[in-house]
Amino acid sequence: MDYTAYSHNTSFGDSNVNCNNVTNNHNKIINVNKVIADENPEIMQWLSPLDPRGRHQDVRMDRLDGVGSWLLGTKEFREWRSNEGGVDKAVLFCNGEPGVGKTHLR
Amino acid sequence: MIDDLCDEPCEEDIAIAMLYCDFRDQQKQTATNIIGAILRQLLVRGEVLESVQSAFQKAKTEVGGRGLRLPDMVRMLKRAIAALPQVFICIDALDECLPKNLLELLGSIKDILGESPRMRIFVTGRPQVEAEITRFFTTSVTIPISPKAHDIERYLEKKLEMDTEQYAMSDRLRADILRVIPERISGMCVGVLVPSSCMILY
Repeated sequence: MDYTAYSHNTSFGDSNVNCNNVTNNHNKIINVNKVIADENPEIMQWLSPLDPRGRHQDVRMDRLDGVGSWLLGTKEFREWRSNEGGVDKAVLFCNGEPGVGKTHLR
Repeated sequence: MIDDLCDEPCEEDIAIAMLYCDFRDQQKQTATNIIGAILRQLLVRGEVLESVQSAFQKAKTEVGGRGLRLPDMVRMLKRAIAALPQVFICIDALDECLPKNLLELLGSIKDILGESPRMRIFVTGRPQVEAEITRFFTTSVTIPISPKAHDIERYLEKKLEMDTEQYAMSDRLRADILRVIPERISGMCVGVLVPSSCMILY
């Protein structure tokens, strides 16, 4: 069941947020990766002691919708997102001084 | 940005892995652990998961051999990415990594990208890490981030709306806050914080 869930959806880290990209209905379903993580806690810990889940949830809660959305409209972002430019343009770097909102970009 | 990749209707499935670097966690945020944290997020059922499980079982039996080395981790991550249609990796605040860890991490990502040309990497950081990034990725694309007046106003309006001490607020004070703060911040932007090449929409 969980594999099917992955095959039709965006797999989003090991958080439990998942989005249905067909209907854009933002379904919150348990994704495959969360299931695998829960089934293999020892392996997850062995791979890395870092778990960005908590931090990501904090950032999401703190973020104001729409703020930073200008980024998504830039030519640079769209080219990067759509794979135009191939491997040469695979890395997108957003830089700015502390506090300008890099973490909360939308 | 991560949520937006999720929300956007798209023709193919995507997988996203992210990591927030933090100077308070520098000792733990080695290149090996960061690559491992990305791998944790990209494991799906199948051959790759089975190979990780068997490597783990093997490591358990070896005396003192439990820890994974960076090349092992990179190899496993390459296999995990190869099993997925499209992978996005987002790493926040690269400047908060120790320099040694940052160089190892960027070198590893370059190595992985060489075998996974469809992978997309989104990184943020202070301007000073740009030199390290371009050292490994000469054709990387940079977007300078600066506070936009519209974003600041929106943020302030929301904060004022949620102010728990409304009695201390008057219309005049509110108007002053909404006028002065965006002005000051945008002034900082043009004059001090960012070079003229920055995209500022005022």
